[in-house]
Amino acid sequence: MNPSTDSSPASKARPVDPAQKIRHLSAEAQAAFRRFQSGGDPADLDPVIFAILESFVPRQPARPFVEQPGDARLVDDLRLDSIAIAEVVFFAEDLLEINISNAEIARVRTLDDLRGFIRQKVAARRAG
Amino acid sequence: MAAGTRNPRAAATPVVTGLGFITSIGNDRAAVLRSLRELRHGFEPVEFLGNPNVPVSVAGTVKGFAFPSPHGRDWVWPGAYAIEREVLRGLAPHGVYAFCALQQALADAGLAADELADGTTGLFCASTGSPFLLTHHVNQLYAARGERSDPMAILSSVAGTLNFNLAAHFRIAGAVCGFVSACASSSHALGYAMDEIQLGRQRRMLVVGAEDMNAESILPFAALRGLSTNPDPATASRPFDRRRDGFVGTGGAVALVVEDAALARARGAEIHAELAGWGQAGDGHSVAASHPDGAGLREAMRRALADAQVAAADVDYVSAHATSTPTGDRSEALALHAVFTGGARPRVSGTKALTGHGLSLAGALGAAFCVLAIREGFIPGAAHLEEPDPVCAGLDLPRVSLDEAPRVVLNNSSGFGGSNVCHVLRRAG
Repeated sequence: MNPSTDSSPASKARPVDPAQKIRHLSAEAQAAFRRFQSGGDPADLDPVIFAILESFVPRQPARPFVEQPGDARLVDDLRLDSIAIAEVVFFAEDLLEINISNAEIARVRTLDDLRGFIRQKVAARRAG
Repeated sequence: MAAGTRNPRAAATPVVTGLGFITSIGNDRAAVLRSLRELRHGFEPVEFLGNPNVPVSVAGTVKGFAFPSPHGRDWVWPGAYAIEREVLRGLAPHGVYAFCALQQALADAGLAADELADGTTGLFCASTGSPFLLTHHVNQLYAARGERSDPMAILSSVAGTLNFNLAAHFRIAGAVCGFVSACASSSHALGYAMDEIQLGRQRRMLVVGAEDMNAESILPFAALRGLSTNPDPATASRPFDRRRDGFVGTGGAVALVVEDAALARARGAEIHAELAGWGQAGDGHSVAASHPDGAGLREAMRRALADAQVAAADVDYVSAHATSTPTGDRSEALALHAVFTGGARPRVSGTKALTGHGLSLAGALGAAFCVLAIREGFIPGAAHLEEPDPVCAGLDLPRVSLDEAPRVVLNNSSGFGGSNVCHVLRRAG
């Protein structure tokens, strides 16, 4: 197969191995992700989201993400730049098998926005 | 102004005030100097791709660094260098080497980072990019059927990654450019940096060359039969020796701070050496092989000497390109015979016998070694040379490093497509 030209409908994006992908996240985040995989409760993704943000933020904030208020702004308060946000989106898409458009991510301003958005996306995927 | 004589408008004299090294023979100036003086090589046995059947089993390894995966979080570098994730996310392995080397060079030059952002400092870089990271990112793209890819894929892996990242981090507002001419790349970067100073466009230039040290960067040269298959680290790289069988690959980084001499003196910086001139010429011959008579290199040497207004007889030492390939070393020997006639008989050696061949990194690394030779008053010996190729008869190839202070030095480099670049360096007056 020439991967650059093959457009067979049967060829779908191959999911990554989640365990391998999250091996650098904290033990707590990895455990939360396993709970999510087995139980399907999107609330279990919160520690995972915090850990993903922590792994891509250009400069670590004074307080860990888990202690940040829900209305903390991703760009202005937590200093995620456009590259870091693109990295977070890429990572989340790959891990959670979701697709996030530019317009959607542009509407996400705060930590609570992000948590709600991810929950909604994951729920929609599981429902669909 | 690579060829011919200097632009009459030129007034500024480019000098080197800072050096930084991450190499197989040492990760700072003192270690590199010791290796060059004592002819200690930086080679180790390696098993590329975990496959003992790979016929190439020696490399110029860069100690103190490790890149076991494509993810920066798994990388290891010396604790003396703080690299924030903001910087690391855009770097290839050779970007890490380069970041460390440039930090050294700035410290050596007595420059703080906030002195680089006023537009009078430029940055010229050279690397192949990172085939290692590029392969990873393209495989990710394939796995996702093109639906997504890593946002840092391009910035960290294509040729240009060095200048993208270093210019942004150090807030360089002067000239920023990358050079791609294979193994002459960083020589071009240094040559054109000299021009930027001499033409008055910049007062200071940072020149950085770097390469990954891994299978993806090195092994493809085996397909061209360019690499040594000699498994003995002590003899695998032996430029100008009759039994040479190819080069030994290496990676690492070198950084040079080049300044207008007047600026360097005004701020009290120590001047290590003057960059007196440079020249370049193409072979017009082959995509891979050097011209059989060394025609392009011969002309590049002549042009460099003319640019520096230096006679061949005044050259004390030639740092040869000398990668230890059968054809390349022969071509260079013939070119040297053609340039150095009559009473001109400089010392000649190839330091790739110790470091290995660093590809895009090689030319500027050779120039930095020349700066060390001038500054420290010695001439590196022709390491591992036991049976000189008959074509070298008449060349002065010292078997050991000499306590002789060279005043004028010529640095040679050649790249694919017959791209030849030479620099003339001399002791600052």
